[in-house]
Amino acid sequence: MSDTKPTFLERMQNLDRRILYAILVVFTTVPLFIKTDLPVEPDAYTKALYYRLMTIPQDKTVFLQSDWTVSTRGENAGHMEALLRILMSRKIKFVVYSVGDAQAPGVYREVIRNINLERKEAGLTEYKTWDDYVDLAYFPNAEGTLNAIAFDVRKAFASRRVKDPNTGSDRPAFESPVLSKVQTVGDAGLYMIVTASSTVDRAVERLNERTNLAVMCTGVIGPSALPWYQAGQIKGVAIGLKGVYDMEYMMKYGLNHPDPNKNGRIEVPWAGKEDKSAEPVTEGKTFARGSLYYLSFHFAILLLIIAVILGNVGMFLGRKAERAS
Amino acid sequence: MVNQQSIDLFNFIKLSCGVLATIGLYSVLYKETKFFRFFEHIFLGLAAGYAMVALWKETLYPQWWLKMVGQLDDKTHLPATPGYWVYIVLLPIGLLGYFVFSKKHNWLSRVPIGIILGLWAGQQVQIWWQTYGPQLYASMQPVFPTTWSSFVKPVTTGAGYTPEQIALINSNIYPSQALNNLIFVVTLLAAFTYFIYSFELKTKFLAGFNRMGRWMLMIGFGAIFGSTVMARFALVIDRMFYIWIEWVTSLQHLSGR
Repeated sequence: MSDTKPTFLERMQNLDRRILYAILVVFTTVPLFIKTDLPVEPDAYTKALYYRLMTIPQDKTVFLQSDWTVSTRGENAGHMEALLRILMSRKIKFVVYSVGDAQAPGVYREVIRNINLERKEAGLTEYKTWDDYVDLAYFPNAEGTLNAIAFDVRKAFASRRVKDPNTGSDRPAFESPVLSKVQTVGDAGLYMIVTASSTVDRAVERLNERTNLAVMCTGVIGPSALPWYQAGQIKGVAIGLKGVYDMEYMMKYGLNHPDPNKNGRIEVPWAGKEDKSAEPVTEGKTFARGSLYYLSFHFAILLLIIAVILGNVGMFLGRKAERAS
Repeated sequence: MVNQQSIDLFNFIKLSCGVLATIGLYSVLYKETKFFRFFEHIFLGLAAGYAMVALWKETLYPQWWLKMVGQLDDKTHLPATPGYWVYIVLLPIGLLGYFVFSKKHNWLSRVPIGIILGLWAGQQVQIWWQTYGPQLYASMQPVFPTTWSSFVKPVTTGAGYTPEQIALINSNIYPSQALNNLIFVVTLLAAFTYFIYSFELKTKFLAGFNRMGRWMLMIGFGAIFGSTVMARFALVIDRMFYIWIEWVTSLQHLSGR
């Protein structure tokens, strides 16, 4: 056994993983206290999603299938918040439910409550259940439920009753202003899926020929959702934390929209789609959770790159030394 | 009347429980201890208990029980929707599933499984086409440019083109688009050749194309893995935000700062 002192790289190769975790905690925590809005080039598929959301006719109802829980709050909460801010600023009604997880309704209800609170504090009108949105809670068996929605949405939701605050009684959901004009799922302004699981696959399989689908999903699900986008089966995608920040960035600057504060410069151009533009979001917050997390995200990736380089260089030098001896 | 201080206190207790659970579950990164096990069991128990209540409240009660017994009008308390007692048949069919625990009668558990499999299988033909049909169309992309007037598609905004000229630009395939399409088609075919197991790829071309397919698949898996790693980072960042921002803010609210 060699009694020479290990080199820096050799020591790095044998670094206790707990030290790496501690460094990761520091790298992800410190940037949370630094307020900065980094410039970004949103992905083309997220631009398509933003464009779709900003061009939904205001008399149409959005179907919102929310299939995420607190375990993916780091990505999906930002998606949900950005989506609700856009819908609420555009006064678009929505129906929300889950087909993925029994815990999902509790989580999306908290997001709706928080966004409403945020609007109240900003002096904006709150979204009211029954008049502006209806919450249909959880439907088990994604395959069966989505099949039912595809063939007859009125039958699929027939058993759901929602409290009408005007009368104080529970009434069938389809009597509400949100769903009264909806006959089929094709009447939806957009069918949004916010998910951390393969429920997006189930929805594409059953609904893509009947309505316009769009997806906000985690980085784990994202790669499998992209072929759907490429084939036109879904109209837009926001993936992971990058997707959250992309959305917030476009909410701030618009899409193909000349910024009057920057001498009419277009902050977010859409190459090849110059005829399609969307305004920024004019009320409420734009930069929020995505902006808060994005710098930490860069620091975490920087740490990963450094660790990979150190590990590989150390391994390479170690093998070289072994061969030499 | 609930005052603001009580709300702040409740919020602080709620968030503190979350912080403790987060630290408890992350403590496995240091070492698997009883502290970690305790929170793991709490997590699993809560999830299971919550799912059971949700199953009754949001599934069986509205979708089965109310359909079976009917509903009364909230105000008049007179029957509003009739009950369909035929739904009672679903209960014994579902309960047959529990015969899986009986050595003598476990064949009965195959009845509900058979019904579910039959329903599932019946949907698959249509689902297959809805899933892959559009992807087959989308894979047939033009690989030859229709114009050489410019390598990339010209920007039309503010360039003074007439609507006819814009329509012509949009209908053309420019060399950069054709190149992109070619890369896509070659990647697709190379990946396909990787899955040819029926005969030996003897020619140099096919063997090379097959190797290229393997490389393309590995690059694809690498990109998927990278995306997964980024997703995990986002979750860690959110937990740090929960502890250092949300929990600390609630503590400040409680202490009146």
